Amino acid sequence: MTNNTLKKIGNANHGHLMVPSILLIVLLIAAAIRGPQLYTNEGMAGAIMVAVPLILATLALTPVALVGRGGVDLAVGPLLGFINVSLVSWLVGHQVHNPVLVVLYVILAGVLYQLIQGAIIVYVRVAPIIVTLSSFVILTGVNLKILDRPSGFSPPWMSKWGAGTEIFSPVLGILAVGLVLWFLLSRTAFFTNIKLTGADERMAYTSGVNIDGVRLGAHVVAGIYAGLAALAYTALIGSGDPTQGSTYTLSAITALVLGGTSLAGGRGGGLGSLLGAINMYLITYVLATFSFGMVSGFVTQMSFGVILVISLQISVLAAAKKSKSA
Amino acid sequence: MISTIRERLKPHRSVLIGSALMFVLLLAGGLFVEGFLSSSNLRSMLVLAAFLGLASLGQTVCALVGGIDMSIAYVIGACNILLAGLLNWGVPPVLAIAIVFAGGVLLGIANGVLSFKLQGQALILTLGVGFATVGATQIITSIGSEYAGNVMGEVPPWLANISAMGGDTFGIPVPPIVLIWAAVAFAVVYMMNRSYLGRSFYAVGGGRTAAARLMVSEFKIWVLAYAISGGMAALTGIILLGFSGGGFVGVGDPYLFTTVAAVVIGGTSLLGGWGGYGSTVIGVIVLTVLTSLLVGLGLDYAGQQVIFGLIIVPMVAFYARSPHIRMQI
Repeated sequence: MTNNTLKKIGNANHGHLMVPSILLIVLLIAAAIRGPQLYTNEGMAGAIMVAVPLILATLALTPVALVGRGGVDLAVGPLLGFINVSLVSWLVGHQVHNPVLVVLYVILAGVLYQLIQGAIIVYVRVAPIIVTLSSFVILTGVNLKILDRPSGFSPPWMSKWGAGTEIFSPVLGILAVGLVLWFLLSRTAFFTNIKLTGADERMAYTSGVNIDGVRLGAHVVAGIYAGLAALAYTALIGSGDPTQGSTYTLSAITALVLGGTSLAGGRGGGLGSLLGAINMYLITYVLATFSFGMVSGFVTQMSFGVILVISLQISVLAAAKKSKSA
Repeated sequence: MISTIRERLKPHRSVLIGSALMFVLLLAGGLFVEGFLSSSNLRSMLVLAAFLGLASLGQTVCALVGGIDMSIAYVIGACNILLAGLLNWGVPPVLAIAIVFAGGVLLGIANGVLSFKLQGQALILTLGVGFATVGATQIITSIGSEYAGNVMGEVPPWLANISAMGGDTFGIPVPPIVLIWAAVAFAVVYMMNRSYLGRSFYAVGGGRTAAARLMVSEFKIWVLAYAISGGMAALTGIILLGFSGGGFVGVGDPYLFTTVAAVVIGGTSLLGGWGGYGSTVIGVIVLTVLTSLLVGLGLDYAGQQVIFGLIIVPMVAFYARSPHIRMQI
């Protein structure tokens, strides 16, 4: 194992957090100038409601991206949608509202689905992008079959969650659970093995890492977060919506990259994804304070693209500088 | 003897499977769907295949060097409304088409240059370029218009005829677009197999170091692949304007994943160095015939998506499995 590989995956290396942290500070200042109502109780509560599903979806992408082979889970959005619509029409539609059952269902559905994806990637040995691409297409169709248009209701005990009037809402609780879980996870050898496998799979294999197990494990973690994201999303919209899949996939991938996680594997982490997703939300928020009228949607889209390209180029420059100084 | 045949057929396995699948689908269509093999349905399938085929050309070339271009769908949409906008502003059609095409090539070059040092992340970089392009184009075209994103306007009749299902080419009852696609396909397959430049794509995709030893510039080939992709996406957007008669930014959306699916089903490896446009043509035809068959059988959009998704992995598992890690050390 070369020193570089170790350095790349070492916990002490937080170089990838530089760009997202600076961007966060800039955006927080911009938000304070353009729309100070964000810093009121209501503003913050609303922001948390909207941002949490995206944060959790981005965390769901993170382990699969870290474990390498260009593993970007294109299906994350449709999977979130699948758990959302199946919860609304299969469970709530049949009067099953028991909170324990609901939480158990969303997590299990996420984990099971990701295990299937992971097993295909590991045992059939088809490139991850092809597997997630086809599951994106399949789930988009399945979601529309389950629920042909946005409709239905979230479980009754959840219906007040989407109000967004309190900062310390249950949705913040879901996020807290997710973050604590991630913190604990990132202390384990398993997590280091994920990054090692992603940084150099052959090296990991020859060092005795059970790379197949690690890859499957990464998918299980992704499934847990997909379930949590779907739960927060259901609370946010208070119903079922089969159409948001591709939007969520694209936003979450953008957030992942803004957070400094490399889609090439091995570099990045949960904190970066958290920052990236918050930045995504703040960009939308700040842009919405300008009155672009009809073109505001286009301005947002263009800004995402430009920011994405710039932040990727900065990572190239940073890498070049590092290798020069080393 | 049998093993020799098997060895010989190995590189063509994807083509064989694809062709077989195509015939099975056509047969099933002929048996179960009335009028499936009628000349009007065959013509409409060919026209739709030509659109997808032109859009997938760039994706194939990018895949050959180990890249992927996710901006194709967005460039198609952007070029579509930009051309409609330019025509509305009174720019002569030929000049407008030249501008849009040049814009597509330039975007492709930008994709290539920006992603060269980020080859593992080409997917997300090209997606970013795509977002930026489509956003910017919509802002430009909505100047002085009330319907941002949709640009209505007059399309010159010759452009409309190129891709009309009932269009004919100098009296031959085949829409010009189909013949254009066929000509492009032959030229590309010939170039890729016979010319130094064409082989350079395989060299770079097959092995960077080896290509460098052969004095093949990885940078030039990489950028060229993306430039071709941008140009072909622009061309598809232009032709789709003739087909639909009005600019619509979402016209490219169906091509976001279908270009990748066509490449993969055809048998070109996304890892580079393996496959070719001939394979993609088969992938394109399989996808188009399958869509037509599913529509004919009365499946709705959702059902079609499920079937599409379900065939991709088994198809790829037939011929594009990566070797076990033991074999990669």
